[in-house]
Amino acid sequence: MKPLPILLLGWAGVLYAVDFDRDVLPLLAAECLGCHNEELQTAGLVLDSRETMLKGGGRGAAIVPGEPGASLLLRAVRHDGELKMPPDGRLAEAKIQLLSDWIREGALWGSGKAQPRGRHWSFAPPERPEGPIVSDPGWVRTPVDEFILARLDREGIQPSPDAAKRTLIRRAYLDVIGLPPTPEQVEAFVNDDRPEAWSEVVERLLASRHFGERWGRRWLDQARYADSDGGSRDEPRHIWRYRDWVIDSLNRDQPFDQFVVEQLAGDLLEKPRTDQIIATGFNRNTLLQIEAGTDREQYRVEIVYDRVDTMGTVFLGLSVGCARCHDHKFDPISQEEHFRLFAFFNSTDDWDDSRPRFRRRSINNLHAVHAPLLEFGSPDEIGRRDAIRAQIEALEDELAAYRKSAKPATDDPGLVERQHLIDRLVRAMPRIDSTMVMRQLEEPRETFVHLNGNFLNPGERVEPGVLAALHPFEGREDPNRLDLAHWLVDRENPLTARVAVNRIWQEYFGLGIVETENDFGTQGSPPTHPELLDWLAVEFMERGWSRKAIHRLILNSAVYRQSSHMRNEIEERDPRNRLLARQNRLRLDAEIVRDVGLSASGLLIPTIGGPGVYPPQPEKAMLASQLKKTWEPSEGEGRYRRGMYTFFWRVTPHPALMVFDRPDSNMACTRRTRSNTPLQALTLLNDTAFHEFYQAFARRLLEVPEDDRVERAFELAVSRRPDARESAVIERLLANERDALHTDPAEAKLLAGDGVKDPIELAAWTSVARALMNTDEFITRE
Amino acid sequence: MSLHSQTLLDRTRRHFFRDCGVGVGRIALASLLADSLPTPSRAEVNPLAPVKPHFEAKAKSVIYLFMAGAPSQLDLFDEKPKLTELDGQPTPPSLMEGKRFAFMERMSAAKLFGSPWAFRSYGHSGTRVSDLLPQIASVIDEIAVIKSLRTENFNHAPAKIFAHTGSVIAGRPSLGAWLTYGLGSEANDLPGFVVLQSGPRGPRNGPVIWGSGFLPSTYQATPFMPGPEPIFNLASRPGVTHERQGRTLRAIRELNEMRLDMTGDREIATRIASYEMAYRMQTGGAELMDLADESDGTLEMYGAKLGEASFANNCLLARRLVERGVRCVQLYHTEWDHHQNLVKGHEKSAGEIDRPAAALIRDLKQRGLLDQTLVVWSGEFGRTPMAEGGLATIGRNHHIDAYTGWMAGGGVKGGQTIGATDELGFHIVEDEVHVHDLHATILHLMGLDHKKLTFRFQGREFRLTDVAGRVVEKAVG
Repeated sequence: MKPLPILLLGWAGVLYAVDFDRDVLPLLAAECLGCHNEELQTAGLVLDSRETMLKGGGRGAAIVPGEPGASLLLRAVRHDGELKMPPDGRLAEAKIQLLSDWIREGALWGSGKAQPRGRHWSFAPPERPEGPIVSDPGWVRTPVDEFILARLDREGIQPSPDAAKRTLIRRAYLDVIGLPPTPEQVEAFVNDDRPEAWSEVVERLLASRHFGERWGRRWLDQARYADSDGGSRDEPRHIWRYRDWVIDSLNRDQPFDQFVVEQLAGDLLEKPRTDQIIATGFNRNTLLQIEAGTDREQYRVEIVYDRVDTMGTVFLGLSVGCARCHDHKFDPISQEEHFRLFAFFNSTDDWDDSRPRFRRRSINNLHAVHAPLLEFGSPDEIGRRDAIRAQIEALEDELAAYRKSAKPATDDPGLVERQHLIDRLVRAMPRIDSTMVMRQLEEPRETFVHLNGNFLNPGERVEPGVLAALHPFEGREDPNRLDLAHWLVDRENPLTARVAVNRIWQEYFGLGIVETENDFGTQGSPPTHPELLDWLAVEFMERGWSRKAIHRLILNSAVYRQSSHMRNEIEERDPRNRLLARQNRLRLDAEIVRDVGLSASGLLIPTIGGPGVYPPQPEKAMLASQLKKTWEPSEGEGRYRRGMYTFFWRVTPHPALMVFDRPDSNMACTRRTRSNTPLQALTLLNDTAFHEFYQAFARRLLEVPEDDRVERAFELAVSRRPDARESAVIERLLANERDALHTDPAEAKLLAGDGVKDPIELAAWTSVARALMNTDEFITRE
Repeated sequence: MSLHSQTLLDRTRRHFFRDCGVGVGRIALASLLADSLPTPSRAEVNPLAPVKPHFEAKAKSVIYLFMAGAPSQLDLFDEKPKLTELDGQPTPPSLMEGKRFAFMERMSAAKLFGSPWAFRSYGHSGTRVSDLLPQIASVIDEIAVIKSLRTENFNHAPAKIFAHTGSVIAGRPSLGAWLTYGLGSEANDLPGFVVLQSGPRGPRNGPVIWGSGFLPSTYQATPFMPGPEPIFNLASRPGVTHERQGRTLRAIRELNEMRLDMTGDREIATRIASYEMAYRMQTGGAELMDLADESDGTLEMYGAKLGEASFANNCLLARRLVERGVRCVQLYHTEWDHHQNLVKGHEKSAGEIDRPAAALIRDLKQRGLLDQTLVVWSGEFGRTPMAEGGLATIGRNHHIDAYTGWMAGGGVKGGQTIGATDELGFHIVEDEVHVHDLHATILHLMGLDHKKLTFRFQGREFRLTDVAGRVVEKAVG
């Protein structure tokens, strides 16, 4: 079975079999441009544009458009004559064929669009394209649909019908707020035939305070947010106020440009508000190594590298970090430019050689390591805390000196007394909430290129600056992070808006319009729907960078509402559903797997924000830590909060989150993987936290009349009613369970929990709850 | 995420692909699609299905005995008469010039420290081993000792991360993750990559050093804990009998099958299979951990005792794991970090690992498994020829410029020594083996070309050996 060639309609209306941007440009970049670029010009030949190819090198023109046989380039790659390129081995036949086809079709650069010097598509600013003509204007609900349908029209594929209403409302709830609808919300929607019923659901969800949780969590993946430092001791840190700031920003639909500016440089705004300073926690989520004997400068430098990489990946969708050791091999990012970006982040106040060492004593001095901090206490409280802290430190110094000189016995009264005093002071010391923030040094550090990426090997000194391949930088004489942030969200920036809308899109469909959501460079995949991407990017900026406006456009579209059922007739042609002739079934995120369990069982405490909480986890989960840590499961409300509030230790993360692919928070994560493993099954089947959900779900079911229970169970678990076959499966399980439990009632108590009225019935329904909440459908948005 | 990772996810999920033997790093989606048949294969339901190596492999499994905290090469393998002769003398300033150390401030007045232990010759090869490791010495003809290892960071945490991932920064995939990504696993009812720990505490940075980094999480290690429940949530809840679990799983499978019919989403088929594997693991995992079916002779040989969480038990478990087809077993033993009291400390730690490690080699050999099982032994770095602390508490500091490790079995040419250091054991003078080279060699023995085993992330092809690494040809038999 050969893949069907996808014919692309060129701009002049001609059919081309070769897609230059998708296939040829990456091939040239990977195989030829390493030597034949403008800088090296090996053999006088540059292969980075049509003009330079026609001009050729010492041996004459590299290509003769339309005539592969007469093109030197093709003879070289075929290893026909003495000139054999690439020199280290012949290209695969398919690649040679591709070059041949491309030359035969005229060797057009950029799908026929003039792109001087091979300018990559994503480096040109997006312009709003005209909406295309489509076969069925009646299908179109928002402008998004025109682009999708036009592409399907070209392939002669019909879109799928709408999903069932119950599927649809569950999909929207899970996508927008990460919680399932109640059975009442489902019924109300099913029975509402007004045309505006859907858009009203959409509006209600976008106005929900849980919207910020669902979408904030994905932003926190990019911000590599966690509650500990990730070093060998993995000390805890206070930065949850940054997490809450992200939630709030999404809920109030803060314009994305402000969202970016405040996170990168809120501290540098004129008279910054508290919330703008909290926002700078974005770049304090870096790892920290405080192991004794560490070279602090090395780690400070690593933190700055991370901030540069993160900025490139998160905002520009570019692998800026590749230019750390050498010029970027494929994208126009020089090593010097990398260090110009580095210079923006190099003058921030971080734990460096000028600061005190980390000390572990009665009170460790993490505050001194974690500074700068924004503290939330009255000046009075802070003063008292500092005074006591100083007292404790003085006493400890005294104690140490006494130990050294007098070598006292452990019960020496002088020793014991001082220790007691220290203990009392530790207890009396006010605990003051704080959050880690950015601060600019008064004296900026100088920045040098690190030769081979080694900070001990400084090269030339550089000043802060941006990437020349993108739009111009109109900063001040002496630019700082704030100028950089403004440059990122400049209307002329070709990448920021495209990258941002693409990441919203990928959450709704599983893959982005640009599949490589973290690489919009020449090695990334080209957009499947370039006009749609540009249209959305322009719309995003023109709507004042409103994220909710983009959500609304997608949620109200016909393409979003399609059924996710597979269609045999298109699976072969488009096995990965890149053309979106249907929706995709997507497994829920790790935190949301927990959230649907909490919701179905009725245990959810929907409080938003605050310090991290400690739901149950397997007893030995903290064993991997070098420093002994305990995990006391929260009692009361903290036990039933949403998954995103689980305290996240980087070194010993909660196992149930990790088996469902929560990112490890060590590097910016712009898309989650969705694995499907036996460990997930073991977690859902046997984990304490989930078992509590099953018990509570069973109790909830016993409250409804017996005849309605199976139906109610399906409604609560998967927002729909069972068909006859499904009911039969449950009825049979129920009957077998009752039989077994009557034979051995002791099992019922173990299964259903202590102190319940009718343990056998409750235990039987606990088994039903387990079965339903272990189905693929329960943890999938369809 | 990138095209290649999507390719990989496709492999782990829907999988039309029967044969991934073209080398996972270079899979072109289109070409795979072209060659593929729409028949469900094992890969469709098992993301860890075995994958053909790049070339014929010498070894099928790796057991890595990681000595966390860094043992002293000068007191175990790298005998230095000159150092003994100069014991207590000031360090020649030329050695210290331009060097950076952990705890730099303590190193200025350091004195040389000759090994307190005697060395003897063993085996046909006559390899010299100290009196701390008489058992390992007794199997020395199976072992290739590498005296010229080198690494890049002098602190434990980053050096451990480097020893496992080829980078000092957390977040890259570990050796075991790369191996299971490249080769899958032969194990039917166990994970493909398992971690076993012994000693007073876990190694620093824990999961970071056996994580999958940016590879799909399927490839991260599953740490086995001592006791009957080696994996989190392996045991059923109280009240969930074997029959109850079976009944419930049947209902789950039927509901899943109905949904599969309805939606056509093959992901549900994978889900069904993963529940079946989970059920098998519940039996297989408990059975694995139960050492009661081992003979007294075997237990005695390792020094293993039923119900203990010791290095000895873990070595025996490692053999049981590779017997069952597990691809990579990573053992950690703490604690070797003896800045002070090295004499007592090394006696204790060496005493804990010597017999089990030797027994592992012997046992694998007698069962005919040694040829296909690569055993590797090393710490994250070595220790200095200079002393730390006073005479009563004498120890050694971290040293990254030269340290010793060894390999056995799995296509390694035993009974030889690779590399050499200067007369004080400070610098390498022959055949440097950088950590990247060690990694390249391990991959090579497993049938993988370290330059081809790549994964695209953030716009770049990453590999275990970064931009370096060469296979240590001398080690390969």
